[in-house]
Amino acid sequence: MIRINPLTLNKIKRFKSIKRGYYSFIIFFIIILFTLFAELFINNRALIVYYNKKIYFPVYNKMYPGKVFGLDYDYETNYRELKNNFSNSSSDNWVLLPIVPFNSYENDLKENLYPPYPPSLKDKHFVGTDKAGRDILARLVYGFRLALLFSFTLLIINYMIGISIGCIMGYFGGVFDIVFQRIIEIWSNVPFLYVVIIISSIVTPNIMLLILIMVFFQWIGMTWVMRTITYKEKERDYVLAARSLGASSSRIIFRHIIPNTISIIITYAPFSISSGIITLTSLDYLGFGLKPPSPSWGELLQQGWSSLQSYWIAGSVISAMILVLTLVTFIGEAVREAFDPKLFTTYE
Amino acid sequence: MKKLINIFLPILIIFFIIIISCKKTDSNVSQDSEEIFKAFYSSEPIPSDIIWLTNDTDLEFASPEAKKGGTLNSFILSFPNTFRVVGPDSNNSLRGLILDNQLSLLEMHPNSENLIPSLATHWAFDKNKRTMYFKLDKNAKWSDGVSVTGHDYAYTIEFMRSKHIVAPWYNDYYTNFIEKVIVYDDYTISISLNKPLPELYLYLTLSPTPRHFYKQLNEEFITKYNWSIVPNTGPYQITKFNKGKFIIFERKKDWWAKDLKYFKNRFNADRVIFKVIKDNNIAWEYFKKGSIDVFGLTIPDYWYDKTKVKEFEYGYINKIWFFNDTPQSAMGMYLNQDKEIFKDKNVRYAFAHAMNVEKVIKTVLRDDYFRLENGYVGYGKYSNNKIRARRFDLDKVDNYMKKSGWNRGDDGIWIKNGLRFSVDVVYSQEEHTKRLVVLKEEAKKAGVELNLDRLDPATSYKKILEKKHDVAWMGWSTSSRPRFWEHYHSDNAHKPQTNNVTNNDDKELDILIDQYRNSIDENERIKLSLILQEKIYNIGDFVPTFMIPYVREAYWRWIKLPKKFGTKVTDNLFDPFNTSYGGLFWIDENIKKETLDALKSGIKFEPVTIVDETYKMDIIK
Repeated sequence: MIRINPLTLNKIKRFKSIKRGYYSFIIFFIIILFTLFAELFINNRALIVYYNKKIYFPVYNKMYPGKVFGLDYDYETNYRELKNNFSNSSSDNWVLLPIVPFNSYENDLKENLYPPYPPSLKDKHFVGTDKAGRDILARLVYGFRLALLFSFTLLIINYMIGISIGCIMGYFGGVFDIVFQRIIEIWSNVPFLYVVIIISSIVTPNIMLLILIMVFFQWIGMTWVMRTITYKEKERDYVLAARSLGASSSRIIFRHIIPNTISIIITYAPFSISSGIITLTSLDYLGFGLKPPSPSWGELLQQGWSSLQSYWIAGSVISAMILVLTLVTFIGEAVREAFDPKLFTTYE
Repeated sequence: MKKLINIFLPILIIFFIIIISCKKTDSNVSQDSEEIFKAFYSSEPIPSDIIWLTNDTDLEFASPEAKKGGTLNSFILSFPNTFRVVGPDSNNSLRGLILDNQLSLLEMHPNSENLIPSLATHWAFDKNKRTMYFKLDKNAKWSDGVSVTGHDYAYTIEFMRSKHIVAPWYNDYYTNFIEKVIVYDDYTISISLNKPLPELYLYLTLSPTPRHFYKQLNEEFITKYNWSIVPNTGPYQITKFNKGKFIIFERKKDWWAKDLKYFKNRFNADRVIFKVIKDNNIAWEYFKKGSIDVFGLTIPDYWYDKTKVKEFEYGYINKIWFFNDTPQSAMGMYLNQDKEIFKDKNVRYAFAHAMNVEKVIKTVLRDDYFRLENGYVGYGKYSNNKIRARRFDLDKVDNYMKKSGWNRGDDGIWIKNGLRFSVDVVYSQEEHTKRLVVLKEEAKKAGVELNLDRLDPATSYKKILEKKHDVAWMGWSTSSRPRFWEHYHSDNAHKPQTNNVTNNDDKELDILIDQYRNSIDENERIKLSLILQEKIYNIGDFVPTFMIPYVREAYWRWIKLPKKFGTKVTDNLFDPFNTSYGGLFWIDENIKKETLDALKSGIKFEPVTIVDETYKMDIIK
């Protein structure tokens, strides 16, 4: 059982009392939960198929070729067609499809009509399709999941490197500090965008490579903050006490100093998430991000921009961006306010 | 004394150096020009056993109804950096327009593809298969009134070989490919290549260069002639320009060739104005206002959607879809046979049958493009029109894959000994992504996984030329005759920086390709070309995709076209200058007045959309 520090409890209480941030947090959490199980809502595979007295769950299973359900092909079953077949025949077989029966890759193309198709309830393209006839809602949701995965991984790796190096610089000082300060100063002058452009013109980056490139430049951000805080913290009495009890440097850093700086780290996190999403979107927009046909907001934005008459493309992705970024910003503001040390400590 | 020496010695030394260097350059110049002189002019008589040919029997292709007069308003996207047609910066948008007004010795009839007279009236072939003789038209005049003589062709060689034009490619071509021009008298010349080749006329119909205008070239050439208007032999000449704004070409009223059989009734507009409009969308707005007379509509967006406006619906602007018959770029997917997976012929065949190109054409490309059947379509007699590209066919994929011992894996993708049928497709244009995603989804049904690998153009080209790709999505530019050696000979396989991007290595094919290259008999070459295409089809390392064998244009109704609209090779119906097929349209001032009045008063005409299939290739009929 984790014992929650009364101070932290106080902070959580304070956070809950900031309604705007708190509700934003709840909504954002629901959205994340939803995207984690997006396959159940937006997918071309059926949720349940009842066929010849057997029940199949294709969503989280291996691919069922058409022959399994009495169709005449070896490739993956088209469950929308299957549903039509079943409802036209008199058998008691049935198919339960997700709300949006498309995945983010397939092209739903029609005869004599050319994509992008506008939103349509009948076709179950609730926000229309893009220029290749792919469902925009599916691409938005799966694109968001990718962007979140990207941002969170980026955040964790960045903070791990940034916090460790920053703390060590601040705690030990001296030569190590000076050398790293100079390295960081030089590092931060490398133009990030150009490097990404050069690299992605040589290889098409996958998500891990993109994260690595980003980490390469962004770990710096946290080091300065952590260095300064550690400088301050290491002079405090509790560090002195720990040291006089014989605690090792690593124990002092990781058990004492970092837990005491966690509030500052947390206030940075939401903003790092939103900047991660923005970075990925803008790289994709410029064509230097994830390789096609990965679902991506930037790519949608690019499509929307080049065909403004198809308002639903740009409209949906811009609304989605506004929603997510506003939520994250509200959360970030509330966290910062809740963790503001001025509310809980008094200096004499 | 010592002081004096100290001052004088350096001055003396400098003086000597100057004298020596002056002498040196002087002697160089005179020596060079003497050599050139010897090479160009001959006192020997012309061989007596040659047969002079001419052509006045092929049909004219211009309309006798054409009227002279009027102005054609057109646009260019940027103003050129120079009017020079050789040297730095000369490869600009205006170069073609200037060169089109510089006739050459002979033309090819656009429909029959026979030679027709232009600056030369007669021609003859030497037995050595590398020399042609020409009798020049004695009436031919430069735009400044000076007669065009054989010396102007000799000067072309001198000009193109000169270091002062700073054009290494031309220097090389006119030295190592074209051997010499011999002037027998003012109106008889011969031109030779360095080696015998079939169809010499493809290479030997040079243009003259006005010797009286350039005289002796020197290192000032590049700057001196940046904005000079060079005398020409064609129907129009630049008369006015404003840098960055416009260029005006004016028709020569007493053009020397205006009554020649194949130039009569052509080049009718009195003036052709090219405005600089830096953006296509803005040019489109100008066009709808009538300040530009013609506009290309090949892009489906324009043809279908943007033309749904009053100007078209009221019939002020007409549309034409004109099919032509020209060599088509070999656009498609090139499979790298050095990759393990594509070493098996069955797998290559299966891959071709897994590509649903028809679906891409029907859906994404609005049924506007045509399926390319083979890499050599549109080369006339040289094209093997019996070949049909392999169509999307799941059963055939199944057969071929099973024959080679592959099985479908859990995810439906073929697998054999741990090797999945999953290949990278290298391409560079963002616009093509939406075509490839459809192919990808369809290929999945066939058990083939395509990974799209979009790189920027330079990198993708590099990757392909280094033969590091699995599948290259690309097209080659065309030439007047099919080329096989570059793309399929084993001389170019397994090494970087060659055009054999499929690493094709087949000794039997090599023999045929060598025969084709060395043959100087046209019939034999045609026969070999057809056989080669069949063999290449059987290798199956190229999946042909699309071709666009037509032009689509919009034009205000006062622009008139001949009854047949264009010719077999027309790729712009409103090309004002092209010597081979251009200048067929004319401008009807009365209709222009009528239309402009109607525009004001809102009178409607019948909307016109012409689809002309006269020259539609048999292969797509």
